[in-house]
Amino acid sequence: MPRFKSAPIVLTVLAVVVSPALARIKLITLPRRERVEIQLDQPNVTLVEEERVVPLLKGVNQVDFSWANTAIDKDSIQFRPLADPEGIKVLSVSYPPNENALVWQVSAGQSGPARVRISYIIGQLNKSFEYRATAAHDERSLLLSQYVKLQNLANEDFGEAGLWAGFGDHFLRPIGINETKQILSARFADVPIQKTYTASLAEFAYLDEPQKKLRIPMHYVLKNDKEHKLGRFPLMPGKARIFQDDGKGGEAFVGEDWGKFTPMDDEMKLYLGVAKDIVVRRVIARNDHKILAGNLANQEVVIQYEIENFKDSPVTLDVIEQARAVRHETRGDTKRDVEWELGSETTFAGGLDAEKSTFDRLVFHIPLKPRAADGAAEKVVHKLHLMIKNEW
Amino acid sequence: MKTLAIILLATAPAWARNIDLSTVPSRDTVQLTIYNAEDLTLVRETRHVTFKKGVNPLQFSWANTLIDPTSVTLRFPKQAAQLEVLDTTYPLDKPQMLYWNVEAGGDMEAVAEISYFTSGITWSADYVCITDPGETVMDVTGFVRVFNHSGEEYENAQVRLVVGTINLVEKIAELAQRQYGKGIEQLEEGVAGAVRKLAAKDKVAEVANALAPAATSAGVPKKIEKEGLGEYFIYTVEGTETIQNGWSKRLRSFDGRQIPFKIQYRYRPAEYGDQLVRMFLLRNDAESKLGTTPLPDGIVRVYRDNGKDGLGFRVQQQIKYVPIGDKIELNLGPDPEVVHEWVKLKTWREHIWFQRQGLNVYKEYGGGTKLEINDVVVGWEDHVGYAERIRNYRPRPIEVELRRTFPGDVAFISKLEPARHDYQTVQLTASCPAGKKTELTYHVRTRQGHLAKQQNVTIERGG
Repeated sequence: MPRFKSAPIVLTVLAVVVSPALARIKLITLPRRERVEIQLDQPNVTLVEEERVVPLLKGVNQVDFSWANTAIDKDSIQFRPLADPEGIKVLSVSYPPNENALVWQVSAGQSGPARVRISYIIGQLNKSFEYRATAAHDERSLLLSQYVKLQNLANEDFGEAGLWAGFGDHFLRPIGINETKQILSARFADVPIQKTYTASLAEFAYLDEPQKKLRIPMHYVLKNDKEHKLGRFPLMPGKARIFQDDGKGGEAFVGEDWGKFTPMDDEMKLYLGVAKDIVVRRVIARNDHKILAGNLANQEVVIQYEIENFKDSPVTLDVIEQARAVRHETRGDTKRDVEWELGSETTFAGGLDAEKSTFDRLVFHIPLKPRAADGAAEKVVHKLHLMIKNEW
Repeated sequence: MKTLAIILLATAPAWARNIDLSTVPSRDTVQLTIYNAEDLTLVRETRHVTFKKGVNPLQFSWANTLIDPTSVTLRFPKQAAQLEVLDTTYPLDKPQMLYWNVEAGGDMEAVAEISYFTSGITWSADYVCITDPGETVMDVTGFVRVFNHSGEEYENAQVRLVVGTINLVEKIAELAQRQYGKGIEQLEEGVAGAVRKLAAKDKVAEVANALAPAATSAGVPKKIEKEGLGEYFIYTVEGTETIQNGWSKRLRSFDGRQIPFKIQYRYRPAEYGDQLVRMFLLRNDAESKLGTTPLPDGIVRVYRDNGKDGLGFRVQQQIKYVPIGDKIELNLGPDPEVVHEWVKLKTWREHIWFQRQGLNVYKEYGGGTKLEINDVVVGWEDHVGYAERIRNYRPRPIEVELRRTFPGDVAFISKLEPARHDYQTVQLTASCPAGKKTELTYHVRTRQGHLAKQQNVTIERGG
């Protein structure tokens, strides 16, 4: 039986349950694709479903499916009649050697057109996600747009295809060969954001080590919940380009970052760059080794932060310490978890952030006033008194 | 392509003459018994042969195929008393050929049964599962696929597929490459006997002798009969099949409709990696509307009916042989709508013991115990508070099972209902309502150093 290779994916139907005389004269029909659905909901697998109307004769029909230069997983191909599944049955599937083709033997209880779905897993039809975030001029909220980017290197023109990414809306778009299509998949307006400034030696190191000045990164933090006008579905990982309304009818590009997979109720943190107007000098002000008995001792550490905010607006600085890193810094590592308590010299008024702190991670928030009208910034001094207990 | 031939020679021995006359009896029936654990197929074919009284030479050749020459046998099941195979000769200069001398008691027509092992014909199973939109029941369809790369076309063959592991001391494919008479070894009789025993089952032999001339009637999918045989299971495809050389053919072996299954979320790092995964759990038993046959090793593809005439792909997974009554566990991987976090909340130490240097004297710190400067810590208890946090954003409640392994002398202390999975692994189960969060908190005490007396986990009730 001839196979048609001019188009990458071809379906042909040959009725074989006719008299032997007729079987010598073959009539092959080429049912066209009526509909295509592309399922992009799995991270590493793309499922294509085609709907075709196949003319079947009563008895056994030969339905030939072939493809060329496309990465179809041969073993995943399925043939499903949408109506009359009891009357239309696949009897067998034969796979010819060295060909990207298969032949279904399909029995039909009566003659007539049958709407069938042919589904298969295909390679080189990839998706990714991208975000565009436009922050308001006051940086209190942003407009978040999520895009699905579909890259069709599968060497097949799918025509007008339905697309579904596993959540959100269903789209109908033409997908041509070698096309890359970016589709707006969701838009979230007035998403409240928090702009954070973080002082964490263990995570972000020094900006100026001799002077003990910390690098202070800035982030936009988006919480993926309903309260923050998100929370419709998990946010898939993807590159986020961040713009800011310049207050003059335009917008400025302020940076980009990779947004990580963010389940609902979690936070997506987008790195904006290093804040140069907030200066934090961190020093170990005290490091006392106090023997309890034998070789058992406590280590009393006081970390001092000298903080200046040269910005015109008030900000909140997040101060983060990791207990194990502090022990390593002050007396070396023992590979044991750190048992610690906060000492009386600690000055952070709000205390530990209980939700974000863990056995090893101490998180504090410090509100900082804007600089004065004459440009001078107030130097605020805070102390973290950490009692590292039962060490040897 | 036809490469197997049996030739009745008018004179004997054929290789001694330059001018020859022969007749070529065609194959009447053929039966393939294909093993999935080894590249091994037992072929039994019958041909009608006419003999004259006396010694009749027969030539059997198998050019460009993968037949094991040591396995070729000739029998006359219906005329065993009148026909005797006197000898078998493998000519050195003619590979892939042998001669038999058959002594006939008189002029007669006989049915010759030739059996042999070949490699290059294999089969595999695969399964397609389609769940309903609500993921409560699934339709399971089993398939078998036969591959023919043997170099020979077996037309209208009865096909039997054997599930089970058979022992071979030499690979058939290797034996097929060797030339007989140049050091070939006989297939171990015990193994060959076991395979032949399978082939000689009475019922099967009867079927083989009465092979249908054509496939099943048009329009009805073929039935695949399943029957147990000792440690093996045989699938017999209804009617006959023609599988051309180089082709493969896939046939439906069973259909299961509306099979109930359970969804469970599991954290078992040793089996599924460091992640909570979604599992579909069902059983190969009658209660689950399965259980008519063991399920051979094969790939399972799971789809979900999306309720709009379409499918969503869920997972593709290799399963091992599933006996009747055993469970089938399908791992769908992490679920973005169910979040699991393991948080260490707090750590502290208690019961710190010292040893006096150089002496076998131990004292616990605290309570006014007098300790000296050179005393060293030799034993203590590590205490860690943990929380397992589960968030379920699905519209249905979920069941969660968590397994945590704690090496050392460990007490697992909680108000939960934990079970010990093995000597150092604790199993927790919980349910999490739709759209809610569940937190399981517990405390682990590990005796260290001098205090460690065991290598196991004990479960204690407490805060």
